[in-house]
Amino acid sequence: MNLRIIPRLDIKGPNVVKGIQFEGLRVLGKPERFARHYYETGADELIYMDAVASLYGRNSLLEIVRRTADEIFIPLTVGGGLRSVEDIRKVLRAGADKVSLNTAAIQRPEIIREASRAFGSSTILVAIEAIRRSDGTYEAFTDFGRQATGINALDWAKRAVDLGAGELSVTSIDRDGTGEGFDLALTRAVSSAVSVPVIAAGGAGKIDHVLEVIQEGKADAVCVASLLHYRYVRECTYSPGEFTAEGNIESLRKGARFSRIEDASLPELKGWLMSRNIACRSTACGTVR
Amino acid sequence: MTEKPPTLFGLPEKVVFCKRCVMSNQRPSSYPEFKHTRSRICPTLRIDEEGVCDACRHAERKPVIDWEAREKELLKLLDQHRRKDGGYDCICPGSGGKDSAFASHLLKYKYGMNPLTVTWPPILYTDYGHRNFMNWLKVGGFDNLSFNQNGRVQRLLTKLAIENLLHPFQTFILGQKNLAPKLALKYGIPLIFYGENEAEYGNPVADNASSLRNKSYFSMKDLSEIHLGGVPINELMEKHKVTLNDLSPYFPADYKELESSNIEVHYLGYYVKWVPQEVYYYAVEHTGFQARPFRTQGTYSKYNSIDDKIDDLHYYTTFIKFGLGRATYDASQEIRNKHLTREEGVALVKRFDGEFPDRYFKECMDYLGIKPEDFVRLVDAHRSPHLWKKEGGEWKLRHAAWMENA
Amino acid sequence: MPIDGVRDGPVKVAIVDYGLGNLYSVQRACVHAGLGAEVTSDRREIEAADGIVLPGVGAFGDAMSTLRRLDLVEPLRDAAAAGRPMLGICLGVQLLMSRSEEFGAHEGLGILKGTVLRFQEPRAEGRALKIPSIGWNGIRRPAGAEGGDPWKDTPLEGQKDDEPMYFVHSYCVQPEDPGVVLSTTRYGQIEYCSGIRRGSLFAFQFHPERSGPEGLNIYRAWARLLTGDDKQ
Repeated sequence: MNLRIIPRLDIKGPNVVKGIQFEGLRVLGKPERFARHYYETGADELIYMDAVASLYGRNSLLEIVRRTADEIFIPLTVGGGLRSVEDIRKVLRAGADKVSLNTAAIQRPEIIREASRAFGSSTILVAIEAIRRSDGTYEAFTDFGRQATGINALDWAKRAVDLGAGELSVTSIDRDGTGEGFDLALTRAVSSAVSVPVIAAGGAGKIDHVLEVIQEGKADAVCVASLLHYRYVRECTYSPGEFTAEGNIESLRKGARFSRIEDASLPELKGWLMSRNIACRSTACGTVR
Repeated sequence: MTEKPPTLFGLPEKVVFCKRCVMSNQRPSSYPEFKHTRSRICPTLRIDEEGVCDACRHAERKPVIDWEAREKELLKLLDQHRRKDGGYDCICPGSGGKDSAFASHLLKYKYGMNPLTVTWPPILYTDYGHRNFMNWLKVGGFDNLSFNQNGRVQRLLTKLAIENLLHPFQTFILGQKNLAPKLALKYGIPLIFYGENEAEYGNPVADNASSLRNKSYFSMKDLSEIHLGGVPINELMEKHKVTLNDLSPYFPADYKELESSNIEVHYLGYYVKWVPQEVYYYAVEHTGFQARPFRTQGTYSKYNSIDDKIDDLHYYTTFIKFGLGRATYDASQEIRNKHLTREEGVALVKRFDGEFPDRYFKECMDYLGIKPEDFVRLVDAHRSPHLWKKEGGEWKLRHAAWMENA
Repeated sequence: MPIDGVRDGPVKVAIVDYGLGNLYSVQRACVHAGLGAEVTSDRREIEAADGIVLPGVGAFGDAMSTLRRLDLVEPLRDAAAAGRPMLGICLGVQLLMSRSEEFGAHEGLGILKGTVLRFQEPRAEGRALKIPSIGWNGIRRPAGAEGGDPWKDTPLEGQKDDEPMYFVHSYCVQPEDPGVVLSTTRYGQIEYCSGIRRGSLFAFQFHPERSGPEGLNIYRAWARLLTGDDKQ
């Protein structure tokens, strides 16, 4: 079985954004371009998160999901602001293969059971976003890193699986966007505690970190954002009229660099992992026959 | 016949919201704190005939400002002051928040200046706020002078400010604004750099013609002008048994000393394009800054002003006195910087403005020695009838950006 | 609900809608491969189509009871018996079997003799593997294939051995007749049947419509078989 590398796009309106510790919405480009690029260079899956959905009580990704599903033939997971089984149905009909639930699931855990019954367990991914407490335990957060819940993240992970989640993603809010590496203790604790695949997220700043989280963090799949985005953003050129909607495009104007990230491309990342004996699906894009 | 409700604090009777951001004309403009009494009539945010506020007008000009020319001006200024003999050539006041981190780092590492950072510490430090302060110095790399205040006096003045003016932040504002000029005089460092340009927030546009603020704002001519906590100095000294020396940290620098000095006060935001979100990223990248690990109560953000527990209370009181909570301030700033649409700003204000800051409330009350129920009474006494009404036993705003009548 | 972009190609397949599965991505893949494709639960449309796709994601028991309720069991059995072109995907391959052990014993369509079993403690390098098995795994030609390429004239024509395809499943099929095994895959220490062929019935445990460009090539190869077009 090959290890999955899954780029994540945080999306606000028409733009890909990337924050640090789930704060700040620096625009890095257009989702269609990023998605296509990652598909062509070997992404195993894609995740789209509506970064402000919970804030405004809406999920506005349907259009971009439709366009993506039309052109890109790898699994797409969509999350952010999905509140009900009906919301999930809409997103799946638009072309998503899986949905990611967090806020709605913590507020009403039964939705995991209902959704996995209606759509199949493997369609339902529960995203756990956690912050490390001073006593070494982890607290789950909702609303895209805004709302503390007082719930122990590890306990919640087990419960989510009991309720029918077919997969979990675990994100360290503390690490996300910082380039400091994944929270290995958090990932390992969750992955060892549940029988379903666990996707690690939050903190990759160089390709070593990805290997670390697989070996020491016991991650079954790895989600990356800044690590890849800050490479691709440099390869993109945009015409001035492309960013007319609101958004913090200041750093794009100046060539969007972040010195804490040793950015990489997917082929570089996978090539390196394979040299370390981690089986990866090779990134050569197949020819049409 | 409906009786028009009187207004408190000399606020404009008609409540008008800016058509672009979510601020209203109730917002007080910058005002010398040491003249702040209950009966003051403070200038407020101007909204023009087209319904646009001064701050948004200023923001209009931001994209067309010739930032290269402004940088040349800055370089000229810095070249005049840069020291090569090992001494400090400028003062950067701040506490390691994103704005002071950005300003000081830019001045030192991009422009080769030798800043001395100076800090008036928060009234009640948050632990992550303190960490940011330490990282500012350790990771960013700066020398720092911190003035640790006489705790009893600070507590007394803060308490009085709350009781008389419902203004928890007065001591901090006074201390912070006054520290830099005084230290500049003491150490012979003629250049002071504050961060964001205050006109961003709607002080009269005329003040922006040059970025030098009128020095007299920071100076005092005569003791009798001064009120602290809404109380005149003599009364303070007599009734509360404090000495002139106890109060001196809150006084502005001596006018004569300032006037005859060559000290200049500048806002870096005049010379450098200030994009608040980018300032956050910069501070994370260069000075080890970290946002708060949970949402600030009363707003949606996590990285604005997070080092003082009293800060949450402060914004709650602005909500009470002016109908403008923290979400309004944060959203307005982001709208002006084109990070948010007005529609989004309105939704955020509706959701978060005025949220009661219960997280640190008890701790603040314990510190101040005010009973929570007394605080509630104080709060209610500061609700201006033209802004608030009681409906079904609950206080409700008459006007809000998300209401139809806005 | 019809989707934009459904072309009225010369060959039309029916994608069986029994409420479960990523029907629309299957449809898109068919359209990309040049097929007309209708998502339907109407038995007459299914009986009239040039080919039938049986997709599915979810629980075996629920799927069978819905198929019964929609009166689709007979048409599917008849279509298979008549040798009409069929393509089963994921749960679709499992439903073809005679029985499944998922949450109790269930009767399947019985088009092929065999059972559906849950992965039993898959392990690799001393580490327990997770269930469901989610990810890209290689498909291989069955061992001991004699005389020619077993994948010729199948939707897998042109694929390399061990080409990764996208799998999501906790159960796998165990057909009684080894002759129907078209491809195998290994998960940990378990080697299982990942592709099936009997005449013009093909079925895969993986999702070709989610398996990138090579997965799309599988749909194209199937489309060529349907149209009788074996030009490259």
